[in-house]
Amino acid sequence: MAMAAVRLPSLSLLRYPSKSLLSCPLSLAPRLRHLRPRASAHISGGGASRCISARSLAKEEVSSSATPSTDRKPSSSYEGSVTPRSVDFNAWYLDVIASAELADYGPVRGTMVIRPYGYAIWEAIQEYLNVKFKETGHSNMYFPQFIPYSFIEKEASHVEGFSPELALVTIGGGKELEEKLVVRPTSETIVNHMFTQWIQSYRDLPLMVNQWANVTRWEMRTKPFVRTLEFLWQEGHTAHATAEEAETEALQMIDVYKKFAYEQAAIPVIAGRKSRAETFAGAARTYTIEAMMGDRKALQAGTSHNLGQNFSRAFGTQFTDENGQRQHVWQTSWAVSTRFVGGIIMTHGDDAGLMLPPRIAPIQVVIVPIWKTANDKSGVIDAVSSLKDLLLKAGIKVKVDDSEQRTPGWKFNFWEMKGVPLRIEIGPRDVANKSVVVSRRDIPGKPGKDFGISMEPSVLVAHLKSRLDDIQASLLHRAISFRDSNIVDVNSYEELKAVIAQGKWARGPWSASDSEEQKVKEETGATIRCFPFEQPLGKMTCFMTAIQALLQKYWSECCRFWEGIN
Amino acid sequence: MRAQRGALETEHQPDGGDDFSLFLSLDRNLPICFLLDRLRLAMLRLPGVALSAITCLDSWPPSPTPRRKKEVKKETGLGLTHRKDENFDFFGVEIEKMNIKNAYFPLFVTENVLQKEKDHIEGFAPEVAWVTKSGHSELEVPIAIRPTSETAMYPYFSKWISGHRDLPLKLNQWCNVVRWEFSHPTPFIRSREFLWQEGHTAFATQAEADQEVLQILELYLKIYEEFLAVPVVKGRKSELEKFAGGYYTTSVEAFIPNTGRGIQGVTSHCLGQNFSKMFEINFENEKGEKSMVWQNSWAYSSRAILSGVMVMLHGDDKGLILPPKVAAVLVVVIPVPYKDADSDAIFNTCSSTIQRLRESELRAEADLRDNYSPGWKYSHWEMKGVPLRIEIGPKDLANNQVRVVRCDNGAKTDIPTGYLVDQVKEILISIQECLFNAAKQKRDACKKVVNTWDEFVLAMNEKKMILAP
Repeated sequence: MAMAAVRLPSLSLLRYPSKSLLSCPLSLAPRLRHLRPRASAHISGGGASRCISARSLAKEEVSSSATPSTDRKPSSSYEGSVTPRSVDFNAWYLDVIASAELADYGPVRGTMVIRPYGYAIWEAIQEYLNVKFKETGHSNMYFPQFIPYSFIEKEASHVEGFSPELALVTIGGGKELEEKLVVRPTSETIVNHMFTQWIQSYRDLPLMVNQWANVTRWEMRTKPFVRTLEFLWQEGHTAHATAEEAETEALQMIDVYKKFAYEQAAIPVIAGRKSRAETFAGAARTYTIEAMMGDRKALQAGTSHNLGQNFSRAFGTQFTDENGQRQHVWQTSWAVSTRFVGGIIMTHGDDAGLMLPPRIAPIQVVIVPIWKTANDKSGVIDAVSSLKDLLLKAGIKVKVDDSEQRTPGWKFNFWEMKGVPLRIEIGPRDVANKSVVVSRRDIPGKPGKDFGISMEPSVLVAHLKSRLDDIQASLLHRAISFRDSNIVDVNSYEELKAVIAQGKWARGPWSASDSEEQKVKEETGATIRCFPFEQPLGKMTCFMTAIQALLQKYWSECCRFWEGIN
Repeated sequence: MRAQRGALETEHQPDGGDDFSLFLSLDRNLPICFLLDRLRLAMLRLPGVALSAITCLDSWPPSPTPRRKKEVKKETGLGLTHRKDENFDFFGVEIEKMNIKNAYFPLFVTENVLQKEKDHIEGFAPEVAWVTKSGHSELEVPIAIRPTSETAMYPYFSKWISGHRDLPLKLNQWCNVVRWEFSHPTPFIRSREFLWQEGHTAFATQAEADQEVLQILELYLKIYEEFLAVPVVKGRKSELEKFAGGYYTTSVEAFIPNTGRGIQGVTSHCLGQNFSKMFEINFENEKGEKSMVWQNSWAYSSRAILSGVMVMLHGDDKGLILPPKVAAVLVVVIPVPYKDADSDAIFNTCSSTIQRLRESELRAEADLRDNYSPGWKYSHWEMKGVPLRIEIGPKDLANNQVRVVRCDNGAKTDIPTGYLVDQVKEILISIQECLFNAAKQKRDACKKVVNTWDEFVLAMNEKKMILAP
């Protein structure tokens, strides 16, 4: 099916005149040209700009414009195509966010409106994780959003890490507040304040809670889902009687995240431990899952911290053990945020737009009826509506697009861009033959189509379900081979530099110091992503220091990932 | 234990708004904490943004008892499971049927957007909290934290709606809001934040908007009556009490018999075209003419729901229990070992009983602690509001039965082990019904119809609920 001519709604034309001529993917050049200058024009123009990749906006605090201006991309409606991913990854990402109606910019710069289609992906994440959290013994609760500033100051490294990003409330109810309040950037401090009151004896342990909440970090460089001033997340907080229990818990939760990433989101993350420099402010150890995006950038998709006794000492969170001794509790915290939605978009998309793994797709199957004459229409529409009921009953998330303003061809492109895994086409001939055509999102053209699939309920449902499973598996498989083809083993600093310069990830033995880590970062732009849990067998020599003795000591964890920041 | 209920008698009148400070006087051991997760599952969609919204730090440290065992996951249709099914996620499922979509709008609102609707901002301005600093630097313009999201959402409605095909636009969000109320000054972080659901919808015609206002109101009524077992009255608010900037406001209201006070339940507003005028939410209708949309907004908050709970708690002096549909723990199993008895066998039976109840999707806990007496445990769990208690002693073991005690009326029955699950379910259903009927009876007894002012004043003094023309 060729790309259909686009009939633009008149209002849309008025609003986005610059985009109206760009329905053909070939006319990219003019589009990119207009994008860039617009961004820089905004920088000089001050207040109205929210071009999110513009670093020079860093000093601008607040937008003065009242309503979200219409020239920013994420508010645009779909007009036939997005910037191909292979041409400009960043432009593609923003186009997809806008065209698939995943999110829009908020009125305060750096904030984001999560639109229903994007929110439904977040809900899919929530539904899975919430069950897993309960299975692993956690209860949900809710802590206040406002934290007295004095709480934040109690843990020294914590305040140091977070203070540049804090949003402070100083006026409430028309009056200056006696103590400034922090809009939570994370809840360790307030959780500990409460834990201190709730925990008395070893019988109260372990205390394991989780909350779903919004948090605020005053970021200057923002990007929808990936980095926003306010975001939604889940944060788990636990307190244990022993260090071993806390360590087990921290590892258990990173494993829950890893399983989610692999099995639901089809993202082959690498689980491991963060280097000391990258450890969470206030934690003893930070575990992470690192994902490789389509542009080979790394995304930290979830973290689990072993907090040790840092916070319990700062807040005096103590319990009486079985021998009547007072002891500080051992704690963990772990979180996954709406950033994961960004990770899903950037892992699986392609030139045509979004590609969603079936298990988290808000719509798994879209049905597009096709008719020419009014006679045909009634038969097709009847078949479509009974098909829809059938799929709903079978637990498949289905959407029928029977609008008459758009051609079938336009709809095919549109739902492909929205990343719906399967499409069913039904025309008059299909109705006569009692069969349908099923197309896969992940395989373009004829190879991805199954013709003449019977409308017989049991046959069709079984076919769709097995296709959805196939797509889920194939997305993961594809992501794994992409990841593996972009990780290179290195054995010297020179090799590392070369690999990073190519934009790939490097893996190699490492046991050098923090300052050497910093030096590498300055010289190459690469940061240590993690020490993977999965380590190769045999002995290796650190390529940086080549000190054998030191190496043996750090043997099991001398392997690190590097990522290029270009 | 009973004495603690005295704490529930609050000193001030909830004035119109759902009054959060009510809970500040709650004793820390009251069953609210237990209720929170249940309520969330029953009604709040966003997993975890629980009704634990009650953010007053010091008022109810719930000494949470995390559940360490696996949760049961199948459905019973009883509302007795933990999975997201129609009972648990009642409201979420219902609005999904109405094709209302969930979304999320930012917490931060700029000053000029906030001030767009005059009446609206007059109602909220004194209660707004302002962020004035980020990190170490002052913001050029202070940023408000949403007291409600009309002003945050409607610029987008204006942007997203252009033709009649874009209508109706029906969105809902689960979030926290902040209202800095000074009527009951409390120490710093308390109580000024709460969680709620807020629905915002736009229609082409008033008829559609009117219809939805009532549909939603009906759902709210069900939350109170079918889940919390609190009888409520549906009604329309007077001009004075309606929503700032709205067209008309409907609400469900509950009544506390003991004190003769009304508590505002939750509200469903028709905003008319007032906001669409201010925010220029126009659309082109079928004939190509420009018109303004009709809007609704409706919300229920953790504060409102807990006010409902208060009604329930006020209901009686004994049998203070949570309605089974919202109780976190439905059944507690307590071993009653005697001297010389085979306590191992008793403990094993307790464990197997728990096992069976859980397999049948009943949320059950066993209290096997050996440092407390059975009597202590009885009152401990009663205080937490668990509706049903199972006691297992040597005699029960011998007779192959368990003793089941209803905590609402103290009735005891011995149930043969074979019928355990079925009978427990029956009793729980009966408790839910009894609670509602009792509350309704009590409320109706306080209802009074008056026709003159004098009668009105008289009835007021008698702490009655008044129906007047």
